[in-house]
Amino acid sequence: MTTAQSSQSTHVAGAAPRAAGMASSSTAQRWRGFSNLLPALLFLGLFFLAPLIGLLMRGVLEPSLGLGNYEQLFANSAYTRVLLNTFSVAGLVTVISLLLGFPLAWAITLVPRGWGRWLLNIVLLSMWTSLLARTYSWLVLLQASGVINKTLMAMGIIDQPLEMVHNLTGVVIGMSYIMIPFIVLPLQATMQAIDPMVLQAGAICGASPWRNFFRVFLPLCRPGLFSGGLMVFVMSLGYYVTPALLGGAQNMMLPEFIIQQVQSFLNWGIASAAAALLIGITLVLLYFYLKLQPESPVGASNAR
Amino acid sequence: MSAVIKESAQADQPLVSLRNLNKYYGDFAAVDNISLDIKEGEFLTFLGSSGSGKSTTLSMLAGFETPTSGEIQVEGKSLIKVPPHKRDIGMVFQRYSLFPHLSVRDNIAFPLTLRKLQTAERERQVDAMLKLVQLDDFAHRRPAQLSGGQQQRVAIARALVYEPRILLMDEPLGALDKKLREELQDELRHLHRRLGITIVYVTHDQEEAMRLSQRIAIFSHGKIVGLGSGYDLYQNPPNAFVAAFLGNSNFLRVKAQGDAAAQFESQSLAMRPTAGLQAAQDLLLMVRPEKAQALTSQQAMQEPLAAGWNEIGATVNEVVFLGESLTYNVVTAGGTSLTVKALSGNLLPLQAGAEVRVRWAAADACVYSEWSESDLSKTAGAH
Repeated sequence: MTTAQSSQSTHVAGAAPRAAGMASSSTAQRWRGFSNLLPALLFLGLFFLAPLIGLLMRGVLEPSLGLGNYEQLFANSAYTRVLLNTFSVAGLVTVISLLLGFPLAWAITLVPRGWGRWLLNIVLLSMWTSLLARTYSWLVLLQASGVINKTLMAMGIIDQPLEMVHNLTGVVIGMSYIMIPFIVLPLQATMQAIDPMVLQAGAICGASPWRNFFRVFLPLCRPGLFSGGLMVFVMSLGYYVTPALLGGAQNMMLPEFIIQQVQSFLNWGIASAAAALLIGITLVLLYFYLKLQPESPVGASNAR
Repeated sequence: MSAVIKESAQADQPLVSLRNLNKYYGDFAAVDNISLDIKEGEFLTFLGSSGSGKSTTLSMLAGFETPTSGEIQVEGKSLIKVPPHKRDIGMVFQRYSLFPHLSVRDNIAFPLTLRKLQTAERERQVDAMLKLVQLDDFAHRRPAQLSGGQQQRVAIARALVYEPRILLMDEPLGALDKKLREELQDELRHLHRRLGITIVYVTHDQEEAMRLSQRIAIFSHGKIVGLGSGYDLYQNPPNAFVAAFLGNSNFLRVKAQGDAAAQFESQSLAMRPTAGLQAAQDLLLMVRPEKAQALTSQQAMQEPLAAGWNEIGATVNEVVFLGESLTYNVVTAGGTSLTVKALSGNLLPLQAGAEVRVRWAAADACVYSEWSESDLSKTAGAH
């Protein structure tokens, strides 16, 4: 997913000046392979776009024509609570996984090659393990009679078990863990591409290690931080399994809310409005991502 | 950039001195007990093949490597414990290592920004630097949008803008093509003359070293095996390794016969008077190809041998025409292969297989009493 996203961005960035410089005669040339796209387009149109549009239509058609569902979504304090939860959890998860993923990616880059492979494989392995298994294991660790609470109580640090699960704390912990690989992979690729001599150049120019980090290393990591962070944020907005298992009934997130509306209340209208909101937010973020990330400074220096 | 120009009043006082510098990687001595004085304002080149320790020595000067033992001093103060960012040394890297996320202007301004200069003063200095390296028109480009030569100029400007007293250059022109390299070599030489800054330059290209530097230090196996001006090192190499490494050379294995004569393949040769020789001691004579002459038998008959000259007979093996010069590869009766180089204008090319007389002045041949066989091959020097 990482590569798909980043290659997409570079393609879009590179295509604009090229297209501008080209005469219209070569437009045909550029679209020559278009027919190869037809099967995929047909499939997506039939099984993705059509049902999606159908669903979104329900948001403005049911129960009556108009934007009533959206009004309700923003007017009802319980519903806005869900929106707030969704954004704060996604934001918190992004920040935490960036903070944890950055040193990990750096370590993978800095340790000798063989060790880096191992670390990266461990990260990948955790990503490939079943999501349910990983989420349930957090349940085992975090619940009132779980390992962490028992240990802390045995050590006398706490008298009563901490409530770390069936609330937003549990959701944030579990999701941060699940999202770390999505930060580490793009970030590590970015760090790997940074020429270590550039950091030496910074040092000899007079930058202390601290300033060298903030003025040279961190700006060069920006593309990785940016794409990783955005991916985690967008994924977190729409994440279902972990919030459903580790979260509580009081503090729902948007995906849980959508499912509840559909399965329990058969309220297709409000569910589809919420889904449309989620899609809209994602599209806006994607737009900003493409806009703010016109070129990767690291990639540009490597191309030469 | 008049501010960069420093008075070179105490030109004889070394600016930098390296004392018994060692760098070991495990048991391997990358730099083996080097001592060297670098004078203020000089252009000194470390010349050697890869792995000879020249880059490691430069890295220790910059502070990226810590010496295993020994001392680096600048004006008498030790640099060993000073981190790179406090050494106030400029450096130009082999692959430029510009900051890819900054424009040309910001790259050059970077060291000044760190030094918290006033904005107006900073802009003024950056502008002056841009003018010096003739990149005024490219100030707002990113490094990736520049050619290799332009990037190198930015790197030089970035290293010079904070007026360091010492500029280190690690094969800065290695990645450029020949023509551009020669152009930048000339620019660099003029820049050095204009700014009077001390430059320590690392290269494996001896022509570049000759073209640029006032002094050359030749590195081999982590040691400095020759130190002096390019002229001295070429004309009077201190040892057989330097002779083989710098330019082309002919080596004749002889046995001493007194102080100023030696026997070569059952023939007696005159040589430079050399003290402390034992009878029948093995010696090595070195003659530069352009100091030797090849004559046909008739020419040799017409021109009697001048006093202090030697003559040996040989057979032409190969003749190579190089434009301005001709190279004869000849073989003596005893199987010693020699190269004779002559300007092509005034000579008839000899045919392969022809008998020739090879002459040289005894004073032009260097005499070595100690050498190792590996010194004589051109590729020696690396570990």
